[in-house]
Amino acid sequence: MNTVKTDNLINSLNGKIAGLTISPGASGVGSSAKVVLRGSRSANGSNQPLYVIDGVPILNTGNANAQPTGTFGGTTDGGDGISNLNPEDIESITVLEGASAAALYGSQAQNGVLLITTKKGKVGKAQVDFSSSFTANNTAYRPKFQNQYGQTPGTVSGDVTSWGPSISNSEDNLKKFFRTGTNLTNAINFSSGSELAQTYFSYANTHATGIEPGNKLDRNNFNLRETGSFLNNKLTVDGSVNYVNQKIQNAPQLGIYSNPLISLYAFPRGVDIQPYKTQYEFPDNVGVDRQNWITHGGDFHQDNPWWIINREPNYAKRNRMLLNGSVKYTFNNYLNIQVRGNVDRISDDFEQDIYAGSNNLYNSLETGNLKLSNQTLTQKYGDVLVNFTVPLKNSDFKINGLLGASVNDQQLQGYSFGGDLQTPDYFTAGNIIVSRAGTSSSNTTLNSIASLVNSFALPPNHSQTQAIFANADFSYKNWAYLTVTGRKDWSSNLSFTNNDSYVYPSAGLSVILSQALELPKAINYAKVRLSFAQVGNTVPPYLTNIQNTQDGSGALVFNTAGYNGTLKPEKTNSFELGADLRFLNDKLNFTFTYYKTNTLNQYIPVSYSAPTLISTGYVNAGNVQNTGLEFTLGYDVFKSSNFSWNTTVNASTNKNKIIDVDSKDGIDKFFLTNDGNSYQSELVKGGSYGDIYAPTLLRDDKGRVVLGGDGTAEHPYAPTPSAAYNLVGNPNPKFQLGWSNSFSYKKLSLNLLVDGKFGGKVMSITQGLLDATGVSEESGQARAQGGVKVNGVNAAGQAVTTVDAQTWYKTIGQRGGITGEYMYSATVVRLREASLGYTWSIANSGIKSVKLSVVGRNILYFYKKAPFDPEIAMSTGNTLSGIDVFNQPATRNLGLNLNVSF
Amino acid sequence: MKNNSIAILKQGKNSFAGISILMASLMLPGCTKNFEKYNTNPSALTVEQSRSIASTAIGPLEQAIYSNYQIAQNLSADAYAGYMMSPTDFRGGNNNLKYALVDGWNVTGFNDQYKLVMAPVSKIAQAGARTLNPDLWAVALLIQVEAMDRVTDRFGPIPYTKAGTSLISIPYDDQATVYQTFFKQIDTAATNLQTYIAANPGKAPIGTGDLIYNGVYTQWLKFANSLRLRLAMRIVKADPATAKTQAEKAMSAPGGLLAAPGDDAAVAQSGSRVNDLYTVTIAYGGDNHLNAAIGSYLGGFNDPRGPIYVTPATKGTPYTGIRLGADVTKGDYKSLASYNCLTTFTQKAPQLIMTAAEMWFLKAEAAVRGWTGAGVAKDNYEKGINISMEQWGVAIGDYLNDATSKQAAYVDPLNAANNADPISTITVKWDEAAANEVKLERIITQKWLAIFPDGQEAWADYRRTGYPKLYPNLSNLSGGTIDTKIQIRRIPYPSTEYNTNSAAVNDAVKVLGGPDNGGTRLWWDVNKGNF
Repeated sequence: MNTVKTDNLINSLNGKIAGLTISPGASGVGSSAKVVLRGSRSANGSNQPLYVIDGVPILNTGNANAQPTGTFGGTTDGGDGISNLNPEDIESITVLEGASAAALYGSQAQNGVLLITTKKGKVGKAQVDFSSSFTANNTAYRPKFQNQYGQTPGTVSGDVTSWGPSISNSEDNLKKFFRTGTNLTNAINFSSGSELAQTYFSYANTHATGIEPGNKLDRNNFNLRETGSFLNNKLTVDGSVNYVNQKIQNAPQLGIYSNPLISLYAFPRGVDIQPYKTQYEFPDNVGVDRQNWITHGGDFHQDNPWWIINREPNYAKRNRMLLNGSVKYTFNNYLNIQVRGNVDRISDDFEQDIYAGSNNLYNSLETGNLKLSNQTLTQKYGDVLVNFTVPLKNSDFKINGLLGASVNDQQLQGYSFGGDLQTPDYFTAGNIIVSRAGTSSSNTTLNSIASLVNSFALPPNHSQTQAIFANADFSYKNWAYLTVTGRKDWSSNLSFTNNDSYVYPSAGLSVILSQALELPKAINYAKVRLSFAQVGNTVPPYLTNIQNTQDGSGALVFNTAGYNGTLKPEKTNSFELGADLRFLNDKLNFTFTYYKTNTLNQYIPVSYSAPTLISTGYVNAGNVQNTGLEFTLGYDVFKSSNFSWNTTVNASTNKNKIIDVDSKDGIDKFFLTNDGNSYQSELVKGGSYGDIYAPTLLRDDKGRVVLGGDGTAEHPYAPTPSAAYNLVGNPNPKFQLGWSNSFSYKKLSLNLLVDGKFGGKVMSITQGLLDATGVSEESGQARAQGGVKVNGVNAAGQAVTTVDAQTWYKTIGQRGGITGEYMYSATVVRLREASLGYTWSIANSGIKSVKLSVVGRNILYFYKKAPFDPEIAMSTGNTLSGIDVFNQPATRNLGLNLNVSF
Repeated sequence: MKNNSIAILKQGKNSFAGISILMASLMLPGCTKNFEKYNTNPSALTVEQSRSIASTAIGPLEQAIYSNYQIAQNLSADAYAGYMMSPTDFRGGNNNLKYALVDGWNVTGFNDQYKLVMAPVSKIAQAGARTLNPDLWAVALLIQVEAMDRVTDRFGPIPYTKAGTSLISIPYDDQATVYQTFFKQIDTAATNLQTYIAANPGKAPIGTGDLIYNGVYTQWLKFANSLRLRLAMRIVKADPATAKTQAEKAMSAPGGLLAAPGDDAAVAQSGSRVNDLYTVTIAYGGDNHLNAAIGSYLGGFNDPRGPIYVTPATKGTPYTGIRLGADVTKGDYKSLASYNCLTTFTQKAPQLIMTAAEMWFLKAEAAVRGWTGAGVAKDNYEKGINISMEQWGVAIGDYLNDATSKQAAYVDPLNAANNADPISTITVKWDEAAANEVKLERIITQKWLAIFPDGQEAWADYRRTGYPKLYPNLSNLSGGTIDTKIQIRRIPYPSTEYNTNSAAVNDAVKVLGGPDNGGTRLWWDVNKGNF
């Protein structure tokens, strides 16, 4: 995992674990990643797994900025929790898939668990490790532009397009914007230990710059872990302190508004953008004229990209303190008791300064706008575990068990301020024209840009879960194992109902056939496993207690949400069957798992018809099913002292089906987004999670494109959208594969990882707008051949074979156009990682080993049909998967690693 | 061996005893006594707090009338009324302004009023306001009638009497029933107000929570009577008997009608809220500009209100607006006339929902129809114009005596294909000898100029009367469902209703009397003469 460093350590797991789908974020350095194990199951809740460090769960949240939920984007990603950690501190990561982790970790583990074990001092060894890594990152692809036609003549207010006459010059304006990003990480760790005490200390510093100017990240990680044994090794104490300090500057904004990429890409062809880079503002001008740009306003408001970076900057700071402690007392060989606790405290500050001269949309008084937020999220966790072994006379049987109780308490404290400024460009909280929490707005789109005045305390979302649980492991002769667990949770989120506690069991059986039976010699190890598990899960806070609120002027705003029955916990039932096999003297290993999970009684906020006078209905409903297969196959092709070669393949397939939404209420659809403009993401009975619905070309029953207009210059032929939105695709891959090869020859080592995601379809709204503005290569080709070739039919029933390129692309590509025509195959196969290293030792110098490697990440796409990397997610939320709205391109990272052990 | 086992067991027994006690204590139900406290949002209101500020709930209801203004009203009613046209080529031209109706926009004109007006009003009723605070209830009812009238006048039959009675299926009421219910609710409101005013003269308990009248009930009583008159006139073609009865009742009701500019009902901007016209004209970079129609009348009549309403065009004549459905990619249409957001529709300007001027014109029409208590048509007509000039703070000059000025011809400086000759020959000066139809055109045309920018009411008047004469749409992308000459008559039902209330909306379409598209006339929009 430490072979190639990235700014978010979770991305380095991509392609290495069957069933784990990682979608890196699009928000530059430090962006959150979306991680899904075995398919999405929750309509409204999180689908991300639980991260557990040394047995104790941690927080994985971003800052007060919500993740985008629509094409307008709006706020910037502050980075998730897992990205804060120093990969050097990690000893191992185990993925616990399936709900069988639930007994120990509870409902949060419903989506799986990433169990992280951190390093600690080793007995009798003192070691210092130093590592330094540097990568240079460049865009892995760029949009394809045409260079034959230039700017549309005449001053058309608003959007500037490229439907003009032929030109002969070409300008590479992207080169003037994108830069080579870098990531420099230096880490040092000290570890030492004796019989009685072991110490581990580490420090890491990361400095990363993004490919968009102004975007950078600085992070410092400190970690100290102390383990000690007392009372003749009966008492073990383990404590650690982890402190992270991180600053991210100018995380790029996603979506259509305030995103430099939209202005950059749509800039007219043949015009040099350099003057606008050299001088992005006229400081003496007032209002929008302060910004030096080719246009102002427009249907997708274009601003000077360098203005956006310099005069609409954002800053995110994070301070995280993770304190972990555990005390274990061993009574005897049969009994020990362990008490553990942690406090995870994340403090986030966010600021965005919008200078006067920025677009009026987020600067309505033309004095500038300031957005500030500050939040501290604290999780306190404590548990007591009693591990026991039942002493049995018959040594064939063994019974181990554990009884435990835990408390998990999460609470937020914070404030958000935002609004137009009194004195222009003076960015301090006291200068904001303040109004309290606002709800009245003339346009909900504006709300998503968050330019409206909002000053409020963030809701504490205080959520406490208390649990008791028990595990019993029965084993027979070391080849048959039966595990039975039970857990009961009490959740504060379900208070005010009669259902505030819920019970869930699980059972698992595994048989090591190679021990039980005489298997052919070729089979060294064979294990079969089977498990059933049920996990209960609570609902989000405050839902069971409907409260009114006040608007910006203190007026009473009624909360018109309602229920259909009382809320109750949701439930996931999962079944798993698998085998682990090793052959040929452990040279060949093979694991296989089949699983089926059903998530029932999900909390779903339902939009009833407006005349019901219920704004949102809180119901428990749904049956989301995931079935799939995972397998890994590893083979040590060669293994000798000089040369070895191991090859491993991991593959998985997941099939998601929405068996039910809420048919008892007559509801068969749930909208995850309702953009109103371009597409919808819907959960539909019989469909699949992530289904994208969009308008498509209206065709007649012979499949010909129905054209409006009459072919004259005033009313040229134009395609028409279908009346209803149709299912156009689902971005989730049908099949994922990772293939890694490790070679070592004497002191050289070579690692290669190829991975592929197969199937699925994604949508590029970017491509639509590039076509509509006439900058895309396709729109140029269409013009060169006299128009777009179609199999069309006009209102009179006559066949039409060519449609004017501008009319065609404007109609389908424009915002709110026929986005169903912009679906692409999501299949992508790439060389994910490669590293070539040389290890040597320097005798008599105290340096035990030195390793120097050349590394690369996302080096080559073997196959990619979509104009963007289909893996990149605009949002880690449940929406916007597979939709590209001017997301930052994926990067190709190449660099060097140095590891020294003393 | 045996001893060892026993020793182990004994040790084990002690340990087990200890552990059992520990486990027993752990098995107790968790300490959940604070759970309800954790699950209560301290930033939200408790039940007691809600009660104590109940009177402030009125403000949000009033503001909700203009919810999602751009896509619910501006890019439909305001345009179809001939007031505005946009130079922005939304969705590549496939939008409401060219009769390619956008469901994603129009849905807000339906859903928002249920969510933001009817739902809170029903909560106010649930809290017992009908009997405990009949005065507050009266105001809430009047706001609801005002809001839902706008909805039914956009769509036709709507769920009204049965709203909130089911989660699965809410039946629609036909429009006659909706209007009947409106009149009954106005009865209740007026009675409650009269009773309260008599018993508590001068008291205004809602106070500044009311963004329209600051809680002054005598003004609300005038509003109730005026709303009755407006609704009565609307249905004159479909149900002339009720129209006459209700109008006469309104004109003779205690409390009177809105009579002077001080009575005008306008929603003030509270907190951070910005005037919606300012937002769409300035903040959105000029999405809202003047329609060629009103420009041609203001220019032709040399109307003193012109400079108040309009920021002049920088190309062509000052009041050159944009034709509805024009191809705005053919030139810089943002250079043509726009709304005056510099001095008139400023950021904090209140938004009008009913004016005194409108009432005088309604009385003028009532007088032409010979209804009791309507006074003299000419006097009311001239009073309407005078009050309007006073409302906007301009000198009327010799406007009322002008018998020659007519609608000007329209010239589009960017695209001569959009030019149009005047389609109306109406003048300003009252002519008692003219036929009723001419008198009506005169009254409605002046009313249209006076109630600017209320496109909602103006569009309803246009559909009912055919006045003022408006240019037809230059593009018609309705796929044959809307007749260019007749122009659009309604907005089709939103897809959300088909998705979540399908049985009821399908029944409603049967009652509609035509297909669910923009060409079907509403119940009060009867295809016959005005007299």
